Amino acid sequence: MHGPARRQLGVRRAGADVVSLLQLQDVTRTVLPPDQPALTILSGVDLTVEPGDRISIVGRSGSGKSTLLNILGLLDLPTSGTLTFADRPVKSYSGGERDRVRGARIGFVFQQFNLLPGRTALENVAMPLLYATGRQFWRRRSLAAEMLEAVGLGHRLESLPDRLSGGEQQRVAIARSLVRGPSLILADEPTGALDLDTGQSVMELIDEVATRTGAALVTITHDPAIARRARDHFRLDRGVLTPVADPALSVSGVES
Amino acid sequence: MTGALTGFVGAVLEAWQELRVHRTRVLLSLVGVAVAVCSLTTVVALGAIVQQANQELSERSSGRPASLYLSAYRSDGAAVDTEKMDAVWSETLARYDISYASRVIQSTQLVPFATGGVMVGVQAVDQPYGEMHRVRMSEGAWFTPADTEQLAPRLIVNEVFYDRMGRPDLATHPTVALGGQSVAGSASGEAAGGTTAVVVGVTPAASWETEPSMFMLAGQLLALQSATAGEAGATTTDPFGGGGGGGGSVQYEMWVPPEISDQLTGIVQRDVQAALGDGATADVFRQDYAQYGDDPFLVTKLVVGGIAVLVLLLGALGLVNIALVTVKQRVREIGIRRSFGATAGRVFFAVMMESVVATIAAGALGVVAAILIVQSPWVHDLVGQGTVTDFPPFPVDAALLGLLAATVVGALAGLLPALVAVRVKVIDAIRY
Ligand SMILES: Nc1ncnc2c1ncn2[C@@H]1O[C@H](COP(=O)(O)OP(=O)(O)OP(=O)(O)O)[C@@H](O)[C@H]1O
Ligand SMILES: [Mg+2]
Repeated sequence: MHGPARRQLGVRRAGADVVSLLQLQDVTRTVLPPDQPALTILSGVDLTVEPGDRISIVGRSGSGKSTLLNILGLLDLPTSGTLTFADRPVKSYSGGERDRVRGARIGFVFQQFNLLPGRTALENVAMPLLYATGRQFWRRRSLAAEMLEAVGLGHRLESLPDRLSGGEQQRVAIARSLVRGPSLILADEPTGALDLDTGQSVMELIDEVATRTGAALVTITHDPAIARRARDHFRLDRGVLTPVADPALSVSGVES
Repeated sequence: MTGALTGFVGAVLEAWQELRVHRTRVLLSLVGVAVAVCSLTTVVALGAIVQQANQELSERSSGRPASLYLSAYRSDGAAVDTEKMDAVWSETLARYDISYASRVIQSTQLVPFATGGVMVGVQAVDQPYGEMHRVRMSEGAWFTPADTEQLAPRLIVNEVFYDRMGRPDLATHPTVALGGQSVAGSASGEAAGGTTAVVVGVTPAASWETEPSMFMLAGQLLALQSATAGEAGATTTDPFGGGGGGGGSVQYEMWVPPEISDQLTGIVQRDVQAALGDGATADVFRQDYAQYGDDPFLVTKLVVGGIAVLVLLLGALGLVNIALVTVKQRVREIGIRRSFGATAGRVFFAVMMESVVATIAAGALGVVAAILIVQSPWVHDLVGQGTVTDFPPFPVDAALLGLLAATVVGALAGLLPALVAVRVKVIDAIRY
């Protein structure tokens, strides 16, 4: 069992043979809005993600959750602190390498689904495979079809996003995030646009495929019920990340 | 490298999907490109065709490059003796192994058409003349070397002449009476003191040609002239009236490789001068359209090319405009693709390919339209103006140029939106 404290401190077990997927040490992110003083969105964030982890992060709107997720997903770089992916400092990656690593190893699920309009479910799921090479690239249509089958949408391959319900769209998005077999799935409020029941079934689906593929899953949510599905829980408050025992408690009280 | 191949194929596929999804806006922007490429190709093709037509026209009148003309005159003003000139001429041709050479004699002959006798212009030439001036035939064939041996003169008449004869089938060897009094009511009656000529071919007449005319072989005309001159009372129609044909009216022409034409000019002039002696002066000069070093059609080409490029630039401008507007609407989509592994380079290339794939498709359409336009009978009439009898085929160069221009315009027009696309900040693009 991974203790939140160990994770927060970034402590490694003796021998240090475990390759951590993602490691943040004392990460800060500040922005410089034009004609305004510097704004600190994240400060002193420590976090380690290992293969197969289930992590939830809860926090109020504007607390910096999406900013943190962008850093975890190599879409954004920390202003200070160190970020390592697969034990390699992300700073040492070139821009293109970061994009390729992201494409091959990280899958995103967004609150607003972010499917490409006008493209069928199959084309949407095959899209990440356009950036793959070899077998994945050439067999992208059959891989995408298999993936849609796996999320229960085998009968909607040719449907356009605006013909699908919210839950179905999010399942297409999940299939898309998993189609390249990522080792890390980042979900930013994946149930935010869905009703309660649909949200639960979508989360079950994500959990299940993540378990099957051995991928780590980081879920950002407002919803304590969704957060509780994870094993390790964190709370983000004004840019400060704190491990919590029960995500339900974190919404009210502040612990230290 | 497999990454490069999948990267290329992937970008083209991406571009194609993008075009499919945004059919309407793509079609709109492509109408402009297709029209531009169509006009460019049409203009270039017509330019090439007009140039070729002009060239053939001038070749027919003053010969193909390089055509050298020989003339000789005596210092006392009299004509140089034709027989002597002919001998010198034959000797020169033999010495320098010039096989394309011809005498050209302008004369007239009385031809007894059914409607009455008419003085018909005759151009008497040697057999190679047909090749030297690319003489076109609408019926029959140009004189053959065997025709030279025939006793009965061979004639090649123009369409006007042929019409007046009543367009007889050439296979029946229709004849015309020459060299004598007209025979009323007959196009083939034997004239007293004359001879019967056989029509072997017909040349097309330009629309402005209303008078009959004909070609004869020089040897046969000269023989006819000496025969009729020998008969008292016979009408000789030679304007110079001389028994052996007017020496002054004979031109000597040869078609030689342009590289050696300058050299030959000097040598032939010297040889002929030497053969004629002090009493006469020989002159050899070049007269084809290419005699001046630079291209006589250069100005036409520049003007036509300039207009075409302008049209294409306008088309490209419209394309850039539409592409820029749409790339801004696609910031979110680009952000999504980036978060699934598209590199900046890939996004750049895919956006660029969209433009290139689209303009190549539009360009191909434009080229097809241009071919249809240029090959239409209506345009043939307009460009030919009745003087071009045989239209050259659609120039392949023009079609290739059209496609190339479309590709270049696509790449240029794609450059700006592609630059905008790579500058998209992923985190801003997917923020909601
Ligand atoms: N580039 C930026 N420039 C200025 N302010 C920014 C920028 N990015 C983020 N912020 C601010 O930082 C704070 C955190 O933003 P972020 O999107 O991470 O919040 P969040 O926790 O995801 O909120 P929500 O739950 O509403 O999605 C917000 O107040 C936001 O306005
Ligand atoms: Mg957010």
